[in-house]
Amino acid sequence: MKFLCVPCDQPMKLATVSPPERGSLSVVYSCPACGYEMAMLTNPYETQIVSSLGVRVGASAETAGSADTGPGCPFSAMIPRSETTTGDGEPVSWTPSAAARLTSIPEFVRPMARTGIERFARERGYAEVDERVLDLARSFFGM
Amino acid sequence: MKGYHDIQGDGGSGILEQVLEKQSRIAESLSGVRNVVAVGSGKGGVGKSTLTLQIAAVLKAQGREVAILDADFNGPSQARLAGVRDAVLVPGDGRVPLPRTQSGIGVFSMGSLVPEDQAVDFESVSRGESHTWRATREFSFLGDILTSFDWGRLDLLLVDLPPGAERTLQYAEFFGPGTSFLLVTIPSDLARGVVARSVAALRKTPNRILGYVENMSGYYCADCQAVKPLFATSEGRDLGIPRLGAVPFDPELARLCDRGLSIAERPDLPAARALGEVAGRLLEILEAVR
Repeated sequence: MKFLCVPCDQPMKLATVSPPERGSLSVVYSCPACGYEMAMLTNPYETQIVSSLGVRVGASAETAGSADTGPGCPFSAMIPRSETTTGDGEPVSWTPSAAARLTSIPEFVRPMARTGIERFARERGYAEVDERVLDLARSFFGM
Repeated sequence: MKGYHDIQGDGGSGILEQVLEKQSRIAESLSGVRNVVAVGSGKGGVGKSTLTLQIAAVLKAQGREVAILDADFNGPSQARLAGVRDAVLVPGDGRVPLPRTQSGIGVFSMGSLVPEDQAVDFESVSRGESHTWRATREFSFLGDILTSFDWGRLDLLLVDLPPGAERTLQYAEFFGPGTSFLLVTIPSDLARGVVARSVAALRKTPNRILGYVENMSGYYCADCQAVKPLFATSEGRDLGIPRLGAVPFDPELARLCDRGLSIAERPDLPAARALGEVAGRLLEILEAVR
């Protein structure tokens, strides 16, 4: 989608993206010629369609208030249910270095990976996930 | 007044360039894969997933490097078939290592991540409208999987497709012309009719159709050691593509699948011999294409 300032016949430039509010996204465009500003306000249906592409509106623009309209973790709605069915033991903590390694797993599968690794640690009597536990898990699962 | 095509760029939303950048990352992630073969049908329940895994097992036993991507996110079966239902994703140094079968076949399946009593549920700000965006979201997710996991150097990546002739077409367009298709049918007129629709859909694309496999081509009776017909067919529709082989239904193969084992465990079975012929023919065709 592109926006044109009709009086100037100039393409308008994205200025700011405000965080989604109740599923609606506010994207402000301005005309580089006359400075006229307009806002595109999406309805949740439109926001979701863009989000489903796995992109962020204005991701590369250096604009204040750029908002993540990307999908985030598509399974986050499922995580509480998963944890109640599998996380029936003591809480497991993570060392900073192990947690840092966890971030190498993409966001969309990170919650499941975290749950699975914690279950692996808990079943073997570890109260904390450190890099040694991660290496054990990799070895155990033949990775 | 300027029109859409008179304006360079998109004014800063960056949506199109992000989509193109993702396509570039997918290509880079699969750069070590010699062949991508999508196993489809159009018809459900014909044994796509079983054949996918067993062909992979035959090729792996021959020393080929093979992986499976279970693209049926909503009805994943590879995790159970391949014995990786309880696999855990563990962070590596770069891309995420694939869960592996006992024989070393890398498998991504949503069945390793989501319990069978839960439906795959994507977050949405627009509840009740999933028919409008779900397919887009799933293909975006497919792109995430392709770019995030370590596919490594493979002779063959088998993509186990969901049912639906139109879905088969969508996967052809998503993966691009370099991906070949292997179709699976059973001898019934009904199934062959649906597969014919998939062939027609794929003919609109530049993708190569390698051929088809007739699964459940008969029932193997271990007592009388003979293959007997399972389906009464009348039309004998010619699908117009090469037939790579016919695999008889064998309860022993079903038992192996239920236990997450491969046909390589029982090379004496007629189904194993048939799958070996299919795998060999598949490789011949792929090599001839190169």
